[in-house]
Amino acid sequence: MEIELRLSGGITVVGIRGSVDGLTADDLMRTLSARVSEGAVRLVADCSALDYTSSAGLRSLLGAVKLARQHGGDLRLAAIQPPVLRVLDLSGFTGILKYYPDVETAVVSFAEPA
Amino acid sequence: MTLGKIATMNSSHRHQRGVAVVIGSGSVKCAAALGLVNVLNRAGIAIDMLVGCSAGCLYATMLASGRSTAEAAEMTKQLWTSTITDQHNRRAWLKAAFPRLFGFDARFGLRDDRLVMERLNAAFGDSRIEAMATPLFLTATDFANGNQAVFSSGRAVDAIRASIAVPFLFSPWPIDGHLYIDGYMSDPLPVGVAMREGAEVIVAMGFDSPYQEHVSNAGRFAFQVSAILSNNLLKSQFAFHGLAHHAEIIPIIPEFKQRIRMFDTEKIPYIIEEGERATEAQIPYLTRLLDAQASEHATAG
Repeated sequence: MEIELRLSGGITVVGIRGSVDGLTADDLMRTLSARVSEGAVRLVADCSALDYTSSAGLRSLLGAVKLARQHGGDLRLAAIQPPVLRVLDLSGFTGILKYYPDVETAVVSFAEPA
Repeated sequence: MTLGKIATMNSSHRHQRGVAVVIGSGSVKCAAALGLVNVLNRAGIAIDMLVGCSAGCLYATMLASGRSTAEAAEMTKQLWTSTITDQHNRRAWLKAAFPRLFGFDARFGLRDDRLVMERLNAAFGDSRIEAMATPLFLTATDFANGNQAVFSSGRAVDAIRASIAVPFLFSPWPIDGHLYIDGYMSDPLPVGVAMREGAEVIVAMGFDSPYQEHVSNAGRFAFQVSAILSNNLLKSQFAFHGLAHHAEIIPIIPEFKQRIRMFDTEKIPYIIEEGERATEAQIPYLTRLLDAQASEHATAG
């Protein structure tokens, strides 16, 4: 898994490439937690190159969402590919987090009233 | 290793602890588990336990007993045909219409189950769950209280019959003084069983219940309601187990482009192919995970 961070309109965009699973989930959680503790509480996960998530990956994503929301922000997902979306749907995640067709829409969503 | 049979642990296989395969409910679609096992065999990944629910019990039992995937595919064609639900249970219809007159009771099922029992007995005879080559766990649902029942011993035929007791279709099945219905009613993809039994890596193959294209009669209405309930239950149970436990669950969800009906056994080759395709996508991660585990255990031990 590779993680790439960038800023877009004041929002931290986290590009995730590869697989979030039992071997990589801790790295993702550490990266996202560090950003939140630095004050970057509004995040968008760019999932366009994310090709798999296991239960460990789901746990880290949920942990990051909870952490960001506890600090008044949110982690929103963008450009989820169909295999990952099937797992998110099976796990009920699509009902508890916000996701968008592309990064731009996800970034703009933070400007909209909650 | 015999091609198609479940690989048992030897020095050529990856050192691993507790790899479980869980086969969820899904009628003939559960044959995709044969594709899953084919791929695991090719990758040299041994299976330490099998868990089955509903029709998943048929495949879990065939594989746990040491049958090859080719034999299991062939057996399905004999076992699982639409003729098993062709025979109406006339007395059940009368009981439903005139409960006082004909004495309605909990062993209610609108289809005669003699043919399915005949076929299950021909396929598995008196095989016992505790005597299988690979540890086997079959799930059903206690009709009295809705609790999940897990059978790890006893006659395989009884546990399978209990687990495929689709409400209204087949009557609940008695085992040791309790009545049991279809396993999907308590958990359509029972990964929790594998967790309780100590699996560290769970390869879980699950299936959505299909929604009706047209709700044109009471039977289809009942199937639609059942599909809504079971799909929502699948999600909630899977979410709970995935988040509440440390074990790694690798969900494998075959994508069927063709519509698969309950008894489409002629589509088994296609179903197995989709099972293989969905599993192959996860093999790189699975092998890396097992290698990392083996390395951790070697360091610790």
